[in-house]
Amino acid sequence: MIIEMSKLRILGPRERLEDVLRVLQDLNLLHLSAPEAVPLTHADLTTGQERERRHLQAALDNVEQALDALGVRDAGPPAAPTTATAADLIRWARLGWRVRRETERLAAREAALDEEHALIMKYQHFFSAFRALLESESRWPNATAYHVLLRGREAGTLPQLRAGLAAAIGEEFQLFSQPLPSGELAVLIVVSALAAGRVERLLAEARVQEIPVPAAYGGKSLTAAIPRMLERLGNIPREVQEVRQRRQTLARTHGAELRRARAALHDRLKALAALPLSGVTARAFVLEGWLPAHARRDLEDGLHAHFGEDVVVSEVSKEEWESEQAPVVLANPRLLRPFETIVGLMPLPRYGSIDPTPFVAVFFPAFFGLMVGDVGYGLLLAALGLLLHARSRPGTTLRNVSEIIGPCALFTIVAGFLFGELFGDLGLRWFGLRPLLFNREEALIPFLLLAVAIGAVHVLLGLVLGVVSARRHPRQAAGRGVSAGMVVLVIVALLAAVDVLPGAFFTPAVIALLVAFPVLIVLEGLVAPIELLTTLGNILSYARIMALGVASVMMAVVANKMVGAIGSVVVGILFALLFHLVNFAIAAFSPTIHALRLHYVEFFGKFFSPGGVRYQPFGHWTRANGRTRAVPSPPTTRNPRQAA
Amino acid sequence: MSPFLITLAAALAVAIPALATAWAQSRIGPAIAASMAEKPELSTTAILLVAIPETMVILGFVVAVVILVRGG
Repeated sequence: MIIEMSKLRILGPRERLEDVLRVLQDLNLLHLSAPEAVPLTHADLTTGQERERRHLQAALDNVEQALDALGVRDAGPPAAPTTATAADLIRWARLGWRVRRETERLAAREAALDEEHALIMKYQHFFSAFRALLESESRWPNATAYHVLLRGREAGTLPQLRAGLAAAIGEEFQLFSQPLPSGELAVLIVVSALAAGRVERLLAEARVQEIPVPAAYGGKSLTAAIPRMLERLGNIPREVQEVRQRRQTLARTHGAELRRARAALHDRLKALAALPLSGVTARAFVLEGWLPAHARRDLEDGLHAHFGEDVVVSEVSKEEWESEQAPVVLANPRLLRPFETIVGLMPLPRYGSIDPTPFVAVFFPAFFGLMVGDVGYGLLLAALGLLLHARSRPGTTLRNVSEIIGPCALFTIVAGFLFGELFGDLGLRWFGLRPLLFNREEALIPFLLLAVAIGAVHVLLGLVLGVVSARRHPRQAAGRGVSAGMVVLVIVALLAAVDVLPGAFFTPAVIALLVAFPVLIVLEGLVAPIELLTTLGNILSYARIMALGVASVMMAVVANKMVGAIGSVVVGILFALLFHLVNFAIAAFSPTIHALRLHYVEFFGKFFSPGGVRYQPFGHWTRANGRTRAVPSPPTTRNPRQAA
Repeated sequence: MSPFLITLAAALAVAIPALATAWAQSRIGPAIAASMAEKPELSTTAILLVAIPETMVILGFVVAVVILVRGG
């Protein structure tokens, strides 16, 4: 249900405005809104406050980046002081800047070390291949050495390279080669310094890849570079470890303080962002906002305790505000609350409309159960739900999903007994499980009629809810009522026509339809007949319950038949298990999608009014709210108990 | 009517909507996936858009069942 909200107006002396906002932030109850229809100016930030806001935002960015870089996780609520002094804020701003700079320096150092490690590793095969060749290089102290890598297909061109060098510079060179494990060929060419230019031209023309010696390790000679590179290779892991230890030390030393700083900076920024939501005169201020009606007393008591008679709280009468403006809080019993996740996939319902959660909590598992309808799959689903429940934390989406799976599994098991199914027809073959209602494999038409009948009930319920939600607009409500009545009349006429109801019902139903038709057009306009036909189509759409149900049981039966159909019993059993697994996966997914669709399109379309504003009381920052920017974003919750 | 024709009619009642559904979903899938990459909040719309064409094949299946039951 959508809980009742009250709109309050708070009046007080202007010099107490910031104190009042501080108390309101502690109380975490009032969803602030700018005062309307009051001839007041809004309390824009002063130049000093605007400067403070910019500085605090910069400090917050530093703190956030430092926390991200340090990988500090939020374990439990941050111990934010309710009153951070100016000295605290300055100290935290400096700390954030200092730690951020330090983490950036460490990150750059770690990246450089990683890059150096990768570079040396690139030369690793070269080290071993050239180690033997390097002695040859060292015997030519005044010569120039070229280190060349011939890739797979180029390796065969070594004789041509040797011939080309001989043709270009005669005997003034020596060429050594060694194959690498990668299939490439490492080649060392040592030439006299005088012939170096010609060799370089030759290599360039032949597009032979020369491996340059990294300048950081000794210039031109690999002889000098390799020992240094090997030494670095040994040192780099130790240096990386030092960097990480330094980061861990920073996280240990400053992590908790930075978390406190983040919370306090967010809080102060939220308070500054709330200031323009107040109206002021030269001597007084006005604040307006919504809160759950049952929490009004708490807010009044809280303000009275701090400000006595200086601050006056009064309720704005309902005639002065429109229900569309009020924020929305959904509050449902514990058992139904997980289904708010399903409703939450749609935009929030408007204040004053109907929260569909209780209806979803009943019909969604029922539709799911009718579609899957198998004791075995139901038990598997229950096990899956228990597993997810054990592995999830309270309040998370995963926990809600696990709690939705529970009723779905229950309805699946119940439907399994109604249809006499346990992994398809295994229940009948092994345990003599007989259907209590009908066998879905054979009774296709009864199952289709059951699905459409359930659809009629569901859609009619939606139409009735549509009448209720339009109660403040009598003409619209009457139109929806007539529409619902005509759907009932059509159903009665059809049932009478096929002798399910006594034939005497047929004529009165048709006459009533003819009378209601012009009334509907008068109330709802010319599109009303089309909407009526759409509604009848919506009822037929519930045939998908039967279609998916039959597909599910057929798949299970086919899986069971594999045991006898495939030569080896063991292979048959394996195939059957695999097929059941696939069927279970489909059964978990497809009925969910179609049950959701039946709710969102066929059911919600009759009464649901989206566009509600989420209730966001002005309070202290918590991690769940994300970052504070230009607008206030106090704790978001759709349940006042969670908000507290 | 011969069993062959009845079976053929039932098969076509499923096959043609199935092809139509496949074609529709092949167009909707990439489009909604691209939209969700930019706006993850469209997940509900994605569910609806992908599920809507399936109505064709589901109703085709129902028609096939009716053909088989009434014809057989």
